[in-house]
This record gives sequence, structure tokens and C-alpha cells, in this order.
Amino acid sequence: MHLVVCAKQIPDPDTPPSAFKIDEATNSVVPAPGISPILSQFDGIAAEAALRIKESQGDDSKVTVISMGADSARAAIKQVLAMGADEGVLLNDEAFEGGDSYTTAKVLAAAINHLGDVDAVFCGRQAADWDMGQVGLLLSEELNWASAIIAKGVEYGDGNISVQRVLTDGFETVSTQLPAVVTVSNEFGEPRYPKLPQIMAAAKKTVTQLGASDLGLDPSDVGASGSRLKVERLYIPETDSNVEFMEGDTPQEQAAALVQKLQADKLI
Amino acid sequence: MTHDATVETLSNTAMAVRSKSSSLLGAWWGPAVWISATGVFAGTRASDIAGRETFFNVAQPWVVYVFLAGLVGLLTFGFVRHASLWMIGKPTDGILKEIPARLRNVGRYGAGQDKVRRDRYAGIMHWCISSSIIVLTIVTAQVALQDDTPLDFLHGNYYLFFSFYGDLFGLIGLIGVGMALYRRYFASHHRIRWDERVEDHLIIVGLGLILVTGFVVESARIIETELVQHPDWARWSFVSWVLAQGIDSFGFSVSSPENPQSEILALHTWSWWVHVVLAFSWLGLIVFTRLDHLIFAPINAFFLRTDAPGRLAEIKDIEEQEVFGVGHVQDFTWKQLFELDACVRCGRCTEVCPANISGQPLSPMHLIQDLKAHLADVGPDIQMHRHATGDAGREVSPIAMVGDVIKDETLWACRTCGACVQECPVLIEHVPTIVDMRRFLVMNEARLPANAQAALENIEMRGHPWRGTALERTTWMEGLGEVAIFDGTQDYLYWVGCSGSLVERNLPITQSVFKLLRESGASFGVMGQEETCNGDPARRLGNEYLFQILAQQLIETFNGKNVQKVITNCPHCFNTFKNEYPQFNGNFEVLHHTEFLAGALEDGRLKPKYAVTSDVTYHDSCYLGRMNGTYDAPRQIIEMVPGANLVEMQRNLSRGLCCGAGGGNMWQEEIGERRVNHVRTEEAVSTGADQVISNCPFCIQMFEDGVPSIQPEEEGRIKPFDVAELLEAAVFGPKMDSNPTED
Repeated sequence: MHLVVCAKQIPDPDTPPSAFKIDEATNSVVPAPGISPILSQFDGIAAEAALRIKESQGDDSKVTVISMGADSARAAIKQVLAMGADEGVLLNDEAFEGGDSYTTAKVLAAAINHLGDVDAVFCGRQAADWDMGQVGLLLSEELNWASAIIAKGVEYGDGNISVQRVLTDGFETVSTQLPAVVTVSNEFGEPRYPKLPQIMAAAKKTVTQLGASDLGLDPSDVGASGSRLKVERLYIPETDSNVEFMEGDTPQEQAAALVQKLQADKLI
Repeated sequence: MTHDATVETLSNTAMAVRSKSSSLLGAWWGPAVWISATGVFAGTRASDIAGRETFFNVAQPWVVYVFLAGLVGLLTFGFVRHASLWMIGKPTDGILKEIPARLRNVGRYGAGQDKVRRDRYAGIMHWCISSSIIVLTIVTAQVALQDDTPLDFLHGNYYLFFSFYGDLFGLIGLIGVGMALYRRYFASHHRIRWDERVEDHLIIVGLGLILVTGFVVESARIIETELVQHPDWARWSFVSWVLAQGIDSFGFSVSSPENPQSEILALHTWSWWVHVVLAFSWLGLIVFTRLDHLIFAPINAFFLRTDAPGRLAEIKDIEEQEVFGVGHVQDFTWKQLFELDACVRCGRCTEVCPANISGQPLSPMHLIQDLKAHLADVGPDIQMHRHATGDAGREVSPIAMVGDVIKDETLWACRTCGACVQECPVLIEHVPTIVDMRRFLVMNEARLPANAQAALENIEMRGHPWRGTALERTTWMEGLGEVAIFDGTQDYLYWVGCSGSLVERNLPITQSVFKLLRESGASFGVMGQEETCNGDPARRLGNEYLFQILAQQLIETFNGKNVQKVITNCPHCFNTFKNEYPQFNGNFEVLHHTEFLAGALEDGRLKPKYAVTSDVTYHDSCYLGRMNGTYDAPRQIIEMVPGANLVEMQRNLSRGLCCGAGGGNMWQEEIGERRVNHVRTEEAVSTGADQVISNCPFCIQMFEDGVPSIQPEEEGRIKPFDVAELLEAAVFGPKMDSNPTED
């Protein structure tokens, strides 16, 4: 059984807001010295889900981790390799830069087709930088596979995958034949802490690098030129707060004044 | 600044008064040595008057030598049996280096019993018992020499003196036994009963009987040969002489040519046999019981580490290890296995353990005893397996040492505060043993509490353990004017640390230190955004691999910047730079800020001008105090703050109680009845002080967290401050006064 995990390296979302800077002229985030590039947390959880299935299926199963990004994204790949994945693929090409969810899905789909024998793909429910949550679904469209998104539990047996999906008011269990795309949510649980022997084994594993030509992609279809999403304006919203103390000699008078004020502002 | 504080009473003039440990021969062995020496002197001047037939009345004295041979055989057997178990351990590096220091330790901790005396009652008791055993063994050996060799010295004045000190140490031994019996059977809920076994009763009651029968033998002999004939000789055996008169007053028959089989002779014969059989049996207990500490404790003193107690052993060539850390008993070093046999179950370690005090699942004594039992349990099989196959035999034991014998939560409850190590009278080093097992859990098994894992991941990903901080490493600089970045031209690197820059409470401390350094005229710079975790929490949580990576990177950075001297905010950074970086060829001169500031006060570079009228108590952080022996510098600063009145807590100096955050517990949920910081806060509150002063960002956070729980009323709460904050108020005036350099 061959499972694929899609992993994205993102700027640390735990960065203090004061360190987060935006260049409004180019509508892009300015990389700050204090911001570390990390593996998107949801993708770590997706890796955990894939690894658990691999372990339940025995030795002839493997997990391949794919990341589209710059050379620095190798760190994210190594992290998933250290968790127990077998192979790593880096999709690194200037042509891929500046794309949107759609072009990303297109590149990932080409890579998965390139691998050939893939049974299932696991993605995080969303990347923790832009939080769009679209790549998983778009990928299943590109591949023309079934999809089950926002999973809190995944089980595999007899060629079928059964997924517990998180809903706003509970969860539902859906089941589908493979191949399929599953996006995994934080309700699934924490990703494992890598064991040192695996970390060292991961350090020795080579990561295959593929570009647009390897995947048979036309550069004009991917990256910025293939992108359907245009960012109009990128900015940090301004927040403001005012404090007003309610006048009044007694708590009752203060409360009455508060009610009046809230009603006047149409807040109640 | 550092010295060994073994005497815990603290005068207000902190520096001079605490004496160096007054150990070694003078204090403890003095009387025994002195008496023996005088005896030898007296012996050389002996006249030929007094004397006795040594094996008087005993028909088969040679039996003693049969017993002796048996005892030697038994001891050899026991030693070989133990040694074969230790040998399954790994090699111990450097154990035969620094021999003079090791011999000093044997003198100080073995002969001098330096640690035993940390409990005064036990110190007196133990000295009484051990000195009497040694002196009476010498007494017995002299009898043997007199009787069975050509030497002839037990007569005349020396004989009288010999009679005297034999009785004196018999009496001292009985006093010791009495004290021991009182503790064991009458003192309430005492630590020595936490793991009580049959052997404990046998040892102490047996020793008492040996001493009593010894006196009976001597009394019977005196009644027969001296009481009437040589009462002036008899008096020298002053205890037996009194006892002889008592026995004699019952009117038992004494031998005479007409009545050669008297009652007193029968008493003598019987009590002699009982005495001899008891004595040899008791010595035989050395092989089977904790009496083996007679042998193992002094040897373990020899094996005691000679480097800094705050240093954890490095795993060399970590990438080539088969197994990381210690998950199987044969992965300990043989010294660690040897230690297990030295344990006497006295419970001192458990009594001072912050986790145990707070009802959390760790008792260092039981941990050592459990490991010891496990070694005895599986050691022989491992040995046989190795002999047969040559492999490490990690699969031999059907039970997991880490997980089954020692529970995970036990290992995680440790604060690495070193209180257990500090107290152990037989020099067991519990902390490295615990961390070795943590290393196995983290690196080999990846089994660790979620919060600890998050802290480690954070260090890996973000270079600091404080996930979700809203602060940057440069936030503290705001409002301080120009802050120089270290570029190799300054004397000192001021190392702020993650907690000093990323935890809100600690920012004022960092600012205080900065202002005081600037005021002192010191030439220093900071690293700002370039600082990263130096690896201390990773190492203490058991991720040695991560620690080594961080340490090597930072050493490279320091060398690249030409860093020579470092001043740290945090005693944990201090300990790591000072004691652990040299393991990786990172040799820097490291000062904790209290050391630098105390020096600046001393030579007048800083002048406290404002009074801070307040009762303050001082909390010794483990890694500045116990681990590095810096007890004086912070107290000196407090002494020099006008108006500050230092009130010590009961547990202070080397007995200081951990705040609860050490050993990576800053980032773990506590399991158990209470939180350690609540216990410690209570102790600070009970001094009645207005402020609790410390020197460590973790301690301060733990107090900040503990105070509202212990003092729910906001009014009159004790306030936690760093020494630097207190000094800042004294140098620049209270904080509300605007500081001209600040704007």
C-alpha cells in the first residue's frame, strides 16, 4: 500500500504579532529574522494518520511525503521522514512560485500521478498560514478521486477507507473505496515525537527533487501565471479599543446607564 | 564566591561566618586516634605488674579462627557475587583519574562521615556505633595478637589503659545503639521506617547484644580474677567493674581450689560463646544486608565524581549508539550499578525530594532500591546470556526496567534539583541515573508527557521553549536607550536567555540587570535576535541529541563573535555554559548576574543610595546554589541594600527546596497531591517577609504563580523579586521615580 502525505512549510504562526510585517506595495509578507519556517501543524497530523495506517498494514506499505516549496522545505520533509515516512519528494521549480490553491493542487496531482501506484493521499485540513483549506479538495478533483475532508479518525480495511468527519454539530462516518484524498483535522490527535534512530535514518535519506518538466507540466499553467486568485490588498487589520466608565452613584444607576448606552449603540 | 556550606546556620554577615567544613580527623576520629596513640605510648612505658591471661577460662579459643576464616570466605563470596553484577554495566570514564581528590573524598565522606552529620542526631548515633565497632575490633585484634603471636604487650600500664578504652568504646557503642533503638521504635513516623526490613532489627538488636554480652564476659572475668585480688586494676574497666559489682551482689559462687566449677565461671563461658557467635554472625550480615555499606560507602566515596555536580554526562558519538540512554540495567555504567549496592535505605533523599514532599510519584530511595532489586533479579541471567552469546542481552529481562520497574511518571517528576544527591550519606548520584532513563524514554521510545514534548518541539522549531509568546527577543530593550549588540570588542556578553526575553514577568529583571551593568561601567553587549536556547531544558528533559546540536551551534556562534566572558540572567544558562559547554570545547568565563553585581558593589562601581525598607527572604535556586555553590553573592547584595532585612527560610543554602520548575518541569503538568511551588511559597510566606528574593526566572515565575494560591487576599501578599530588581531600587530609587537614563 502506498500512501502520500502532502506537507507544507510555513512561517511560524506562533510568531509574535509585532514581528509580523507586510509589504503592502507587493502584497507580500516580509520574512522577519525571528520567524522560523516550520511544518504546518495540520500536515504533521496528516502524517500521523498515514503512518498509523502504514503500521497497521505491515512491511509492504510505504509513505511518501511530498512538499512543494523552496529548498528550505526539505526541513519539513525531513521532519515527516523522521516520524517514519519512507521517501521524500520536493517539488521545487521557479515556475511553481506565486501560485494559488488551484495551481498547488495541479502540481501535487501531477507529482502523485508521476509516482504512479498511490492508494491514498493525506493532507492537513488547511495550511496554518493562509488557512484556506482548499488544496485537499482541489487535489481530489484533479486526480478525480473520492475525498473525505476534516477527519478526526481514519480506518482502513479491505480496500475501503472509513473516515470520521468533524461537523459543526458532531461528526459523521463516511466510507469510500481507494484511491481517495483525506484531509485531517486537529481533532485526530497529536503527531508523534520522532525517535532518535528514525531522526538519524531520516537525515541519511535522500529527497527526490522534481520540477515542472519532470512532471510534464507547462510552466504557464502553474505558479503565478496559472493562478486564478489575485490578491487585491494584503494588510494587517487595525484594531482599536475604547474604555468608558459608566457614571452613577449606585450600581443600579450604573447598570441602567450601561443598558441605555448599549441600546443606543444598537448592541442589545 | 563558591565554597562548601555544610553548616546551615546563617549569620547576617553572610560571607565570613559559615565555617569551612570542619571534617576529617580532627572532629570525628580525633578521640579514637588520640586514645589509641596515648595507649601505644603508655604501652612502651609499661611496667610488668598488671595483666591477665587473655583467653582465660575458654577451652577452645582456636574456634575463633575457624569463625574468622568462615567470615573471610563469606565476605569474599559476597563481594564476588556483587562484583559480577556490577560488571554487566558499561565502562565508567575517568574513574581512576584525580586520585588525590578521590582519596580526600574517602577521608571526608568515608572516614569523616561528612554527609551523615547533616542529620545531627544520626551523626552522633552513627559515630558512636561506627567508632565503637572499629575500636572494639582493634581491641579484639590486640587480644589475638597477645595470645597467638610472640608479641607481648598487654600488661602493665598499657593493659590498664587498654581496659579503660575498651570499656569506654563499649559504652559509646551502647549509647549509639540506644539512640538507634529510640529512633527505630519510639520516634514517630520516621524516614528510616519507610522501607523497613527484618535485617534492620537484626542489625541493631544484634549489635546491642554483642556489646552487652561483651560487658558480661568482662565482668565475669573481673569477678573471678580482679575484684578481690586487684581492685585497683579492675577499676580501669569502669563499666564492667560496676557491672561486676552488681552481679557479684547476687552472691553467685566464685571459683576456688575447692570449687573449680563456679557459677561465675559458667556465666563467663556461656556469655563468651554467645558473644563470639553473635559477633561473627553479625559481621556475616555484611554480605546479606545493608551492613555492606561498611565496605561500599567508602569505596563509593572514592568513585564520587570529581567534576561539577551540575554537569550531566555527555553521550559520546551519539550517532553511533545502538540504544540511546538507559532502558536496560546493563546500559548503566558499572559505577551506577555499584551505587545501588551502597544504598542503606536511610530515606534522607526522599525526605528532601521536592516531588516527594508534594505528594508526587517519586521517592529517590525507592527508585534506587527498585533498581537494585531489578539488578539482582535479572543480572545473573544477563550475565549468563552474555557469556553464552556475547551480545548485550537487552532482550533477556521479561520486564521493562523503564516503564515497569521504574514508572514513566516517576522519572518525569524529578526536578534535577540535586537535593537527594546533596543529602546522600553514601554518595549516590540519583539525578544522572534518572536523566539517563529519561534519555531512553525521549530518544529511544519517544514516550514523554505532551507538554514536555511541546517544549522540546518548540526548542527545535523556534529555538526557545515558550510557545505562543507575544514577545520578541528584543522587546525588553524598549525604553532603555541604546543597547549595544555584542561584536567582540566588549568585555562581556550579557546573555539574556529565552525566559529573560520572552516571558513578560521576567522583562523587568532583564532591564534591571541591564541598567545595573550599564551603571557599573561594564563593557558589555547583548545578542538580541540572535540568541537561541542553549539546550539546557532539552538536556534535562532527556533529549541529549538536541542538546548537543544546540550546544555545538552556540559554541560556534560564540567563538565566531570572540566571546570570552558571559554574564547570564538565569542560573540554568549559567550552569550549562559553565559546566556543560566545556564538554564540547566551549570554554568561557561565566558569571551569574548576582556574582557580577556583588563584585561591582564590593569595589564601589555600584552604590546603593536609596533605602528599601523591607523584610525579605531569599530563595536559593538549585542551579546557582546546590549545583554551583554560589550562596554568598546574592546574600551579599541583599546585605548591602539599605533597609533590607534578610529573614532566612528554614530550608536554605544547600538544603534549599526547589521551586518546582527544574528538570523541565516548568513545561509539565504536575501529578500528585500538591504543587511544589505552593509548598515553597508557603515556606516563604511563613517567614513573614514582604518580599521573596530569588535569582532565577523560573523560580520567580513559580512564586508569582504560587502566591495567589497561598495568599488569596491580595492585600499583604509576599512579592517575588529578583536580586537585581531589589538592587535596582537601591541604586536608582524606587521604580515609580522616573530614571533620567530611561527616556
